Amino acid sequence: MINYLKSEHYRLLRKKSLYITSGIGFLLIVAAAAVLHYFPRIDPTFPYATSTFFYSNVVAGWVLIMLFALIFNLALTGKDLSVIKQSVSFGISRNTIYWTKLILTLSYFLLICLVGLLLAISLGENLLNTVEHSVRNFLIACFNMLPIVLSGFFMIHSLRMLNAGESIIIFLMFFIFYLSGNILRALFRFIPGLDELYKYTPNMLLNDNLVKFLNHESAFDYRFWITGFVISALSLLIGVKKFAKKPID
Amino acid sequence: MGTIIETYQLRKVFKQAEVIKSVNFSLKKGEICALIGKNGAGKSTFFKLLSGQLIPTSGDIQLFGKSGKEMEQAKKRIGFMIEEPAFFPNFTAYQNLEYFRIQRGVVDKKRIHKVLEIVGLAHERKKKFKDFSMGMKQRLGIALCLLSSPDCLVLDEPINGLDPEGIREIRQLLKRLNQENQITILISSHILAELQLLATRFVFIKNGKIVEDLSRTALDEKSKKQIRLVVNHPAKAAQLLERAYPDIQFQILPDQVITIQNHIEVAGEINRLLVENGVDVNEFRTEVLNLEEYFLGQVEGNNND
Repeated sequence: MINYLKSEHYRLLRKKSLYITSGIGFLLIVAAAAVLHYFPRIDPTFPYATSTFFYSNVVAGWVLIMLFALIFNLALTGKDLSVIKQSVSFGISRNTIYWTKLILTLSYFLLICLVGLLLAISLGENLLNTVEHSVRNFLIACFNMLPIVLSGFFMIHSLRMLNAGESIIIFLMFFIFYLSGNILRALFRFIPGLDELYKYTPNMLLNDNLVKFLNHESAFDYRFWITGFVISALSLLIGVKKFAKKPID
Repeated sequence: MGTIIETYQLRKVFKQAEVIKSVNFSLKKGEICALIGKNGAGKSTFFKLLSGQLIPTSGDIQLFGKSGKEMEQAKKRIGFMIEEPAFFPNFTAYQNLEYFRIQRGVVDKKRIHKVLEIVGLAHERKKKFKDFSMGMKQRLGIALCLLSSPDCLVLDEPINGLDPEGIREIRQLLKRLNQENQITILISSHILAELQLLATRFVFIKNGKIVEDLSRTALDEKSKKQIRLVVNHPAKAAQLLERAYPDIQFQILPDQVITIQNHIEVAGEINRLLVENGVDVNEFRTEVLNLEEYFLGQVEGNNND
């Protein structure tokens, strides 16, 4: 596994897409901060040049983060999946391939997210009007988002390893992370015991997270971890099982 | 002589279609074995089962006497090249091999240059894989197979896309690897003449089943001759032949040509039989069959099988 990890690392560092995707992500953060920083000079009554508003864009931008996870995963696995056949025929197990690729892409994804987070905080605290406890609240809100974002990443990885097309991945992600709340609410509204289930769906939780952040009421919420764990476990379990038997052409 | 590859009752079913039908096959150390069959016969599927790209529906595979989980380790002693070699398109030949060198735990970095030299790609330092010609891709595929100094090569159509000079070079390379490095080779190709010049054993596969397994000597013996005759009434001739020799194998071809694959030793008798029964024989000769003719006769179906 170590040799496979090393070889994948060698490949990853030579992928232009790693630098392009990360660069675009960082650029968007800087651009958002710059706009908020310069806008009050044009309009002195502009009320959004605060760190809270800037951070709220990150908390509200979970769809964008998921999209970034998809693009990142596609860029790092993408068409290179065809090369797997050479590794399988050399006796490297499908399990090793599945987990190594996940560990490596996830590590880089988390590293880039962390750098992005630090960049956002340093820009927010230095360029914009700071609000008391905004960083603490922002970090709590991000911590709540973490399991949901991770579950999205695991789902994307599993689907990519099973060679699912981009449109299928986007549809499934949209359904599970965006539509599921409203669908469950409509389906179970008259069934006692299940009528509260929708509150555990990703979009409901993430919207709730944003509202609490804007009200300066951010607090650790275990429900994010329950939902994240369920989606992650299912994605990984199905992914590993199916990939173990998948024909590799 | 040790056995490198062995399969027992190997089967592969895709949905409803049985693509590999209970194949029993063994490859002995030192052999150059040619797997011959037309498109869709099951050659690539068989190779993919050996490499682990496909999971067998039933049956067993042993590589170097190991099966199950132990087989993964044994695979490291085999270089597989199945269908078109796949590499990272934006990497050069060196970068691609470096990726696999790290992955395969080959300590000696110079090995990359050595294998690139063997296949004639050492001078292509800056060209990216996506800009390679088909022949160059095949050469790089062979270089990858050689990277970890294997004891056996399994090559699916390795001379696809090569020019005649390239084909000759690869043939010489494979012969050299077999003779000097004692590398066992299992190879498939559509260019049958090339296999005839290279292989020591010929296995014919048709509809997922091995239909013939011959040594070079047996093949030479079996395919050495056929009778070719031109007659005025092919249908009448066929009737006479079938009546006189119930096990006769023959084909009726266009232009009133008949070819007979057995009973060559009684050619004179056959001629007399036809003439005495009122069939005009305008041409009668025995000719040597090449492997391709043999292959087409056996694998694509014989009129009188």
